Amino acid sequence: MKRVVIGAHLRREDIEPLADAIRVGEIFLSGVMVADDQPLSDRDLLLRVARTRAALLDRGTFIAIRYGLAVTNEHDAASKCAAHLSRWRALLDAHSNEVEVTLKIAVASPQKRPDRHDFKLGADYLRALYAARDAATVDERFRAAAEHALSEATRRRWLHRDEASLELAALVPRDRLEACFAAAADLKARFPHIPFLFSGPWPLEVFADADHE
Amino acid sequence: MADQIEELALLETLDHLLDRGVVIAGEAVISIGDVDLLYLGLNIVLANVDAIIRTSQK
Repeated sequence: MKRVVIGAHLRREDIEPLADAIRVGEIFLSGVMVADDQPLSDRDLLLRVARTRAALLDRGTFIAIRYGLAVTNEHDAASKCAAHLSRWRALLDAHSNEVEVTLKIAVASPQKRPDRHDFKLGADYLRALYAARDAATVDERFRAAAEHALSEATRRRWLHRDEASLELAALVPRDRLEACFAAAADLKARFPHIPFLFSGPWPLEVFADADHE
Repeated sequence: MADQIEELALLETLDHLLDRGVVIAGEAVISIGDVDLLYLGLNIVLANVDAIIRTSQK
């Protein structure tokens, strides 16, 4: 059997009995047990992991591990995660009472996605993809209003998702979550012409990912 | 309308599951259909594994 890893947690009791707890150093990984030959792309498994992930967040804030990591035992888990453990422990200590929310906005003038057939080199194609992604913008008034709506956040970060959307990720105290949803509803009323989706709570995703630091 | 909201919530949940969070190097290979897909750190699927292997063998 193997375990599909969901996240990194401070306490074993935040995981069990919803999922398996796997000790790695001073913290614990949550995992869903599956057969060794179970493909990770299985639809039912994806939904099961998604449901478990949501239930775990009700128990306590954790660091989300991107879907795709599977471990066979504690030793395997420790060796695969060794480089991250001290950083994860510090993040969990610092943000145990916070969750992420995201405001995903469709840009007004999406850039044309580069066609890979137009490029001889893969590197040039990637550069064009990133350039198209990074050129996406939203109305400045909406941008300012969105930041104001999430003024309760302890941290905020704008992210270019792709050539058609931008995202404002924010870390908010759990007890201010309701106020954030009310602010997002107000934003929807003030900018009915701008399509956006406000969602959460999510575990530590953007603010735990070293790529975004 | 309720069905649409439920579908949107599911899509958003799957988007976060597949596209957010910490990437553990070398572990983010999943298969969809018969194609292995390799995830890199920047949140998009960049290439399929067969293509990378074919390219590296040239």
